[in-house]
Amino acid sequence: MEKRIREELLALFKSKLSRPMEMYLETCARCGICTEACHAYASMPLPKYTPAYRAEVVRRIYKNYFRWQGKTVPKAGECKKLDETIIDELKEAAYSCTGCRRCMVYCPFGIDTQQIMSIAKLLLVGAHAEPELLSLLADVSISKGESIDSFKEGFLEGVKNLEEEVVEKWRHEAGRTPIPTEVVGAEILYVALAGAHSIIPAAAIFNAAKENWTLSFFEAVNFGAFVGDPTKTKIIMDRIINEAKRLKVKEVCICECGTAFRVMSQLSGSRPFKVSSITEVHSRYLKEGRIRLDKSKFNVPITYHDPCQIARNGGVIDEPRYILSHLTDNFIEMSQDPKYNWCCGGGGGLVALGEETLDFRMKSAKVKAEQISKTGAAILATACENCHTQLSNLNEHYKLGMNVQFLSSLVSDALAK
Amino acid sequence: MNTVYFFILVPMVYIAFAVFIIGMAAQVIRVLKKPKLNASLRIYPEEKPRWFWSIFDSILLPTVWRHNKALWFFLIAFHASFILVFLGHLELITEMKWIQLIKHEIFLGKGFVGLIMSIALLFFLFRRFISPTKELSVPEDYFLLVLLFLTVVFGSEMDWARRWYDYGEMSVDAYRSYLSSIFLLSPKIADVTTSGHSFMLVLHVFFANLFLMFFPFSHLIHSIFAFSLNKIRRG
Ligand code: SF4
Ligand code: SF4
Repeated sequence: MEKRIREELLALFKSKLSRPMEMYLETCARCGICTEACHAYASMPLPKYTPAYRAEVVRRIYKNYFRWQGKTVPKAGECKKLDETIIDELKEAAYSCTGCRRCMVYCPFGIDTQQIMSIAKLLLVGAHAEPELLSLLADVSISKGESIDSFKEGFLEGVKNLEEEVVEKWRHEAGRTPIPTEVVGAEILYVALAGAHSIIPAAAIFNAAKENWTLSFFEAVNFGAFVGDPTKTKIIMDRIINEAKRLKVKEVCICECGTAFRVMSQLSGSRPFKVSSITEVHSRYLKEGRIRLDKSKFNVPITYHDPCQIARNGGVIDEPRYILSHLTDNFIEMSQDPKYNWCCGGGGGLVALGEETLDFRMKSAKVKAEQISKTGAAILATACENCHTQLSNLNEHYKLGMNVQFLSSLVSDALAK
Repeated sequence: MNTVYFFILVPMVYIAFAVFIIGMAAQVIRVLKKPKLNASLRIYPEEKPRWFWSIFDSILLPTVWRHNKALWFFLIAFHASFILVFLGHLELITEMKWIQLIKHEIFLGKGFVGLIMSIALLFFLFRRFISPTKELSVPEDYFLLVLLFLTVVFGSEMDWARRWYDYGEMSVDAYRSYLSSIFLLSPKIADVTTSGHSFMLVLHVFFANLFLMFFPFSHLIHSIFAFSLNKIRRG
């Protein structure tokens, strides 16, 4: 590797050395307690799939360039030079980790492997070795933000086409727009995904609750976070923050997308508006009696997969259960403690990479498939786009015979007048 | 030989302590100088008060209890013994009446504390030879465990010799006169270098010196960072 490139990569590495990151890199005792936490290792017991092994790939570079050991006795810590050979190792480590942070719950120190993998991802971006598709998708999101006017018309037309279906689900007062946009002073700015499934049920529920809401021009998903590029992550996030500020909304409601919710609610610092997941909003509507659900709609056992970024990493744990208690008397918990729920195996950009990662996703989530199958439920609900895709793939691959549904779709289908 | 004994028992002890204290301070300052992260890295659900649960997590290791009971047992036994041994050394420097509330001959634990530590260290060492901990471990990890094991075994041996084998040539008073003199900066080693058993002490101090010097530059820094990291996880 050329000296100049190495120096650039080390500068990127250094930019990630925050206070917690330093402690994560310094403290691991390589005790291996986190080993069993990772679904990839639990499904395919190879040492390279243990959380600490992944982190070691990064830690060994850290020790080589940023610590005394690399300069004195590099062999003692098996320090590694940053060269071409390590790029493949970084890629394998980072893109076999979904960033679910289940290992963080196991570790006696609470070491965050997702954070450490964010260094690996950034180094890959710096070495132009990241999955191109993710960077491309991030760039598309960014250019959308930069030239909002040029795609506005097409967007509004697309939204118009969905209105009929929204009204079919919930007929509200005449004269009101089923999918409002650009409402200054709205209570809620709803940030959806590109796709009718993310807009229609949500719109019907907002309308049923008589909410003063407005639809964002941007899609929630943050491909910058998937590819691990902090600059792009911020630009993509700022599009939404600026829109919320411009419209002076009180609350930004993120659709069923785990990464988008975690980035906005946990990783973006303080904001002048409240951030909620759509699950929280629906649970609130039920509590306040603004919507009612018809329990007779689904007469089969329902189970719920807690998306890692929304539950363990985002704190939305009780709300989906509250909603489900209004949807069915036959709810089956998937994991005794939601904090320990297995990851679906599709996070961290793996689902976005589609077919390319399908084989690994299916093999590494064997434990997840077993967990789902044990519930014996007929409907498998979840509240994250990535999880939904991955769970549907698992459903097919492992022939689970489940009906995989978005929680918001169940709510909108069960809306009672 | 006398020069070697003197070097290990006096200058090397001062060097080791200096390296340990400066090294620990430098590590902490280095990390504190890094920018904070403008993000929350917590795990849910929340339990309050957070500071209490962070300390609870750091001291009682509930996550280890949940996932590996045998390791939890040895970790707790080891760390508790470590504290007792540390107190024992303080007692050698100066008399502390409050510790004598539990009447004992120095050290606490009738020699069993050292034995427990030695067994725990062997457990930690041997589990590193089993996959996948084997693949995770680096030479430094084995080195530190071996070093600590040697320190503990030679240190405990002095205790065991007195208690279990009636070896009375070197008494607690002899150790006390040496260790307190070191701390009063007027080193006296005569009492501990004339017995046939002195080499045990010299080896104990030698390995302990090395251990102290490596401590701040290894993952043993978890002794400090464990609390901050658990606080980050608790939010
Ligand atoms: S964050 Fe999840 S996928 Fe990544 S190492 Fe930890 S348990 Fe495995
Ligand atoms: S449990 Fe924590 S300290 Fe132990 S190996 Fe895993 S990350 Fe390192």
